[in-house]
Amino acid sequence: MSVTWHKNTHGVPRRKETLDRMTTRLFLVAVGLATLLIGAYLTLTASTVHISNGIWKLHNELAEIQRTNSALETEIARHSSIPVMQQRSEALRYEPATAVEFAFTGAP
Amino acid sequence: MLRGPDARLRLVTALLIAALLPVLGQLLRLQVLDRDQYRTEVEELVHRPYALPEPPKGIIMDRNGDLLIGNAPIYNVGAEINLITDTVTAAAVLAPLVGRSQETLLETMFLPEGVEGVQWRPLANGIGGEAAERLKALREEKWAWLTLQPTWKRFYPEGALAAHTLGWVNEDEQGYGVEALQQRFLRPKIAGDVGEVDAYSEPLASELAKGEIRAYPGTDLRLTIDRTIQAFVEGELDKGIAEFSAQGGTILVMNPRTGEIIASASRPTYEPDNFAGYAGVDDEIFLDPAVSVPYEPGSVFKVLTVAAALDSGKISPDWSYYDNGSVEYGGVVIRNSDRQAHGQQNLQGVLDSSLNVGVATFTTQFVGADVYYRYLREFGLGRRTGIDLANEAPGQVHLPTDFDWTDSFLAVNTFGQGVTVTPLQLLTAVSALANHGTMMTPYIVAERSYADGRVVVTEPRPYGYPISAHTADLVAEMMANTVDARVKNAQIPGYRIAGKSGTAQIPVPGGYDPVNVITSFVGFGPLPDPELLILVKLDRPQNDINLRWGTQTAAPIFQRVMARLFVLQGIPPSNMAASSQATTGP
Repeated sequence: MSVTWHKNTHGVPRRKETLDRMTTRLFLVAVGLATLLIGAYLTLTASTVHISNGIWKLHNELAEIQRTNSALETEIARHSSIPVMQQRSEALRYEPATAVEFAFTGAP
Repeated sequence: MLRGPDARLRLVTALLIAALLPVLGQLLRLQVLDRDQYRTEVEELVHRPYALPEPPKGIIMDRNGDLLIGNAPIYNVGAEINLITDTVTAAAVLAPLVGRSQETLLETMFLPEGVEGVQWRPLANGIGGEAAERLKALREEKWAWLTLQPTWKRFYPEGALAAHTLGWVNEDEQGYGVEALQQRFLRPKIAGDVGEVDAYSEPLASELAKGEIRAYPGTDLRLTIDRTIQAFVEGELDKGIAEFSAQGGTILVMNPRTGEIIASASRPTYEPDNFAGYAGVDDEIFLDPAVSVPYEPGSVFKVLTVAAALDSGKISPDWSYYDNGSVEYGGVVIRNSDRQAHGQQNLQGVLDSSLNVGVATFTTQFVGADVYYRYLREFGLGRRTGIDLANEAPGQVHLPTDFDWTDSFLAVNTFGQGVTVTPLQLLTAVSALANHGTMMTPYIVAERSYADGRVVVTEPRPYGYPISAHTADLVAEMMANTVDARVKNAQIPGYRIAGKSGTAQIPVPGGYDPVNVITSFVGFGPLPDPELLILVKLDRPQNDINLRWGTQTAAPIFQRVMARLFVLQGIPPSNMAASSQATTGP
């Protein structure tokens, strides 16, 4: 069904317009769908950006943890290196063996 | 005068359109006419390279997982000096942390009058440890203008231990040792791109959403070297060099069954942590004498000559000759090292007394150049072994087809003169005798652990089969008899050791050095199934000239190293019953 109507704007009569209700509904539905799609796209994009940002931060945190780990690794290696161990054992009054006797026995 | 609503409406419309025209004009200019210019400006402003923090290089461990080369985190420190409010205080606080004087720091941080915009200045590079932690805290707490760019520095926890083997690389990735040759594995995968970044050169979130970037650390390497054995071997080499006043030396330890290099020690050495300190002053010190510096091996070479002759069938194990002290071949007279005639001798006697005349006689009269040099090539001489270390030298073996060939080469090569080998080549060749005729490819990288979790283990692989198992065992037995009979300094109670000493003259322009020699001893044990093969080489020992022999200098070092390694490796004596009271040790 169509409706024919007319109105005045600032007292000026406008031309008669014909509005098809079905067309109007379809148009509104299309606008609604487009809005939904755009909203979904924006939400998705925002979410992706947010997650990417989080991943970037995690990468940086991982790198920092890696650096801490490497620092600890090198520190442990430094403390357990042969020269340091020798110094520590000498400080504990151990002496290098000069004459060692080894006795080998067969398995029973 | 406007009359009526129609006219007023037209006027308002016209005014609105007129007001819009400049806007449209500007839009046209910005979007169409000057589009390229603005686009370039924006790209320059926000499109810059960005990268994830640099991941570390792969670490290098010994065979037991102890760290040999690691990564120490360090920072390059800078400052945006236009943002500093109190330069004097900042300089005073920073000076001890960055290792600079307050005065020079003030000069660096001084902002001239009238200079605008971001002004960044580098303050110091390579800051680590406590100082770096303090700087990070300062940045977090109050001084956002401090910039700390993270990077890495190679760290050698054992100092100079195995320096030649481990090596180093400079910023262009040129260098020495495992570090240089394995650089393509050790190098991390740096992640970065070019895109929209913020003021701190960090990518905008929209840029990150385009796709994933990921950085990977380098591949970790586990070596065949044993840190404890390496330290012990280096200690013994130092003692030996001091005892015999030698200018340098090398000790190589190999498992002949697999080709694994268990220890490789050379002197003089250097601190790889401070390689730049030697560069340009003493570059030769970086070359690994074990793999990069060929020398004339002398009499240790005789075991290869005897093996070639026996395996070719040109002589039999019971071959004998009459030694009158000299033999002439190719225009040169070959004499025994003691200048004596030894009368009737068999092959065992040739090895026992290390008779130059003997090896020259059977090689020139029975074996011949074609067969002899074919065997030397089969033993891997004159070509690289392919070990996974940088700068391996091929050595030199003159062949009859060479333009500079003379017949005398055949005679003198038999006792290790006129032929050059690296200690590693010699060790690999002798491994054929120790491993029943099979030479294994020497290797030093036992395992690669990739960042994605894959682990690739290096499988031992044969390098060649120069002689039969029968010949190898026969020559090994003769070498063991030589040690039992003549080289007390190399004997180890309870263990059957095969070995051969060498005292090589050093070529100088116009002949050979009349005084200086290179003494060496190569041996393996325990027979009949050797698990360790060791080469000891001393350069120019300066002890009593009458005792300047391989048997007197290199053999005792060999004995000490081999005896201790049997214990460290848990290798039982050759004859358990006979050795229940076995004693070892210096």
